[in-house]
Amino acid sequence: MSPEVPSPTRRAVLRTGACALLGATAGGCGFMPAKTPDAQQLAPVRARVDGDLVYFNWADYVDPSVFKGFEKEYGVKVIQSNFDSMEGMVAKLNAGNRYDVVFPSAKWAQRLVHGGRLRRIDHTQLTNAHAIFGKYTYFADPWYDPGSAHTVPFTAYKTGIGWRRDKIGELTGSWRDLWSDKARGKVFLLDDRDEVLGMGALELGLKVSTGNTGDLDRITSLLGTLRPHLRGFSSDSYNNLLNGNAVMTQAWSGDMAAMLNQAKDPSVFGFEAPKEGTPINSDCYAIPWNAPHPGTAMLFIDYMLRPENVKKNIEYIGYPMPVAGTEKTYADLVKPFPECLVTEDDLRAGLFFRNGGRAAEDARDTAWTHVKAG
Amino acid sequence: MALLRPSSRIRRRGTGGDRIWTWLMVPGTLWMTGFLIASLVLVAVLAVGTTDDLGNPRFGFDLSGVRALADPAYSEVLARSLGYALLTCAICLLIAYPVAYTIALHAGRYKHALIAAIVVPFFANYLVRMYGWSVVLSDDGPVLRTLRAVGLADGNTKILNTGVGVVAGLVYGFVVFMIIPLYAALERLDVSLIEAGRDLYGGPVRTFFFVTLPATRQGAAAGLVLVFLPAMGDFVSAQLMGGPDQIMIGNLIQDKFFQGQNWPLGSALTMLLMLVLLIGMLGYLRRTRKDEAEARR
Repeated sequence: MSPEVPSPTRRAVLRTGACALLGATAGGCGFMPAKTPDAQQLAPVRARVDGDLVYFNWADYVDPSVFKGFEKEYGVKVIQSNFDSMEGMVAKLNAGNRYDVVFPSAKWAQRLVHGGRLRRIDHTQLTNAHAIFGKYTYFADPWYDPGSAHTVPFTAYKTGIGWRRDKIGELTGSWRDLWSDKARGKVFLLDDRDEVLGMGALELGLKVSTGNTGDLDRITSLLGTLRPHLRGFSSDSYNNLLNGNAVMTQAWSGDMAAMLNQAKDPSVFGFEAPKEGTPINSDCYAIPWNAPHPGTAMLFIDYMLRPENVKKNIEYIGYPMPVAGTEKTYADLVKPFPECLVTEDDLRAGLFFRNGGRAAEDARDTAWTHVKAG
Repeated sequence: MALLRPSSRIRRRGTGGDRIWTWLMVPGTLWMTGFLIASLVLVAVLAVGTTDDLGNPRFGFDLSGVRALADPAYSEVLARSLGYALLTCAICLLIAYPVAYTIALHAGRYKHALIAAIVVPFFANYLVRMYGWSVVLSDDGPVLRTLRAVGLADGNTKILNTGVGVVAGLVYGFVVFMIIPLYAALERLDVSLIEAGRDLYGGPVRTFFFVTLPATRQGAAAGLVLVFLPAMGDFVSAQLMGGPDQIMIGNLIQDKFFQGQNWPLGSALTMLLMLVLLIGMLGYLRRTRKDEAEARR
């Protein structure tokens, strides 16, 4: 070090630190844009190659060979990244990260549309749109996105009970089965606020997304009676069943279908959709307002809707997709668990988890703390 | 931490040395201010903020997050986490001391290889290691199979999804933090002290309790802090190894930020946890300051 360089005084170090602090705080503000962007103002996107595809989804949610096919046909690259929760996905979008195609669930799609974060999708630009909207008319005008103006449905699934036939025999087809003495101490619930509160609500004949504190108190005390039967909260339902830690578990239909590939003998497992009703959910394709290559995203969505690709994806991930002509593929896949099928009637029953106001969300949050912490 | 501070001997070496140390402090200071202090300030501010419909935190002044802490559920979970963390510290100390002692004083030329054997697995992702550990402790896993074979467990015994499982996970996850500072302290231990103890007719047990243990208590104190802090905030062990009655404060905080989208309450809980940790940290600082003062006398 040369002697001319003056050694920093304590003050100088503090000053530099203060600047860094200010910079960081300003950066923090930047992640909360003052003005909500409004993608409604943007013209619908034309389907054309305008760059590589920046893809953002759950891990392993599309057959890799489908990506390869897309890359080859259109001469673009698919740049993948993954999220592990809807909240994480939206946090990345809010932070200004740019993706071409994202896959929100119904509830989150509605929030993103309300926030003006999604570009409109012109169905006439999608040559395969009729295979969805012509057959599954529910999706022509879903509650979360009127007219499906900003989204295209990707998968649909429901929540039920998975169990070990070899350990506890047959069930009665009701959510009450979770209280069965035969499974005492070996029951898992999903580690998911909406699913657990929704299950309690269905058992009591209430609305699945209720934010009413009286309703939530009833749900909390009902679930309190389930605690002695519980072994834990875990969303890893099929591994818990496979390794025998669970004999019964709340489970997503798609996970149970995916388990069929791994089970040595599927006949020891069962999946039921309880008669009180089963929560329904749907993931969809969406293009964020700041997508760098929205045209390629449109081509990708259209490509994913081709029946041959839908079939590959169904077989790969175990989730049904509402595309005409692919029903048999899914029915074959879930032959041992026919209750995994999602029908138009299931969709119309409308047991989707809906967005509540801030007060309702906070009340649900408190109820979940009480259910989880006892 | 006293162990990490450059010794006063180096500092007194003159102005040139002074300058180097000051410059070397700049990147660390910037890093700490930018990423630690600033984010702490953000958390503190968000504790009285709100959340909008898209899950964005919004600045403001709203005490509902702080007020929600009065719910007895939180103090109960906090007390449980404290209990688990303290128990983890105690078990880690009991496991780590003999290990560190053997390696530092009796391993000879295998010393470094043994330390590497302990540290290297630690580089594997924490979540993956915990997941593996949960398989080991599962109902059909090797631990319970062995216990059943020797008649110490029956078909209904379980470790996974119990408090035992959670503490086992925490110990497994953090015991390295105890071994390393203890090893460092034992390594620096002046063995002539032990010989002196023997010369004064102390048996091995007396020598250990009156000479070796007091001489290495700084290492133990550092290890206790290094294990206690992460154990208290951990949420992976309770999630993978715990059942419905083992939820820790870290799990609740994670839920607030994710499923609940209730950032103010999550931030308020984080501040509460930090307050508890600060008390433990202050105890450690007082202890080391006293030790230093004694050493100087």
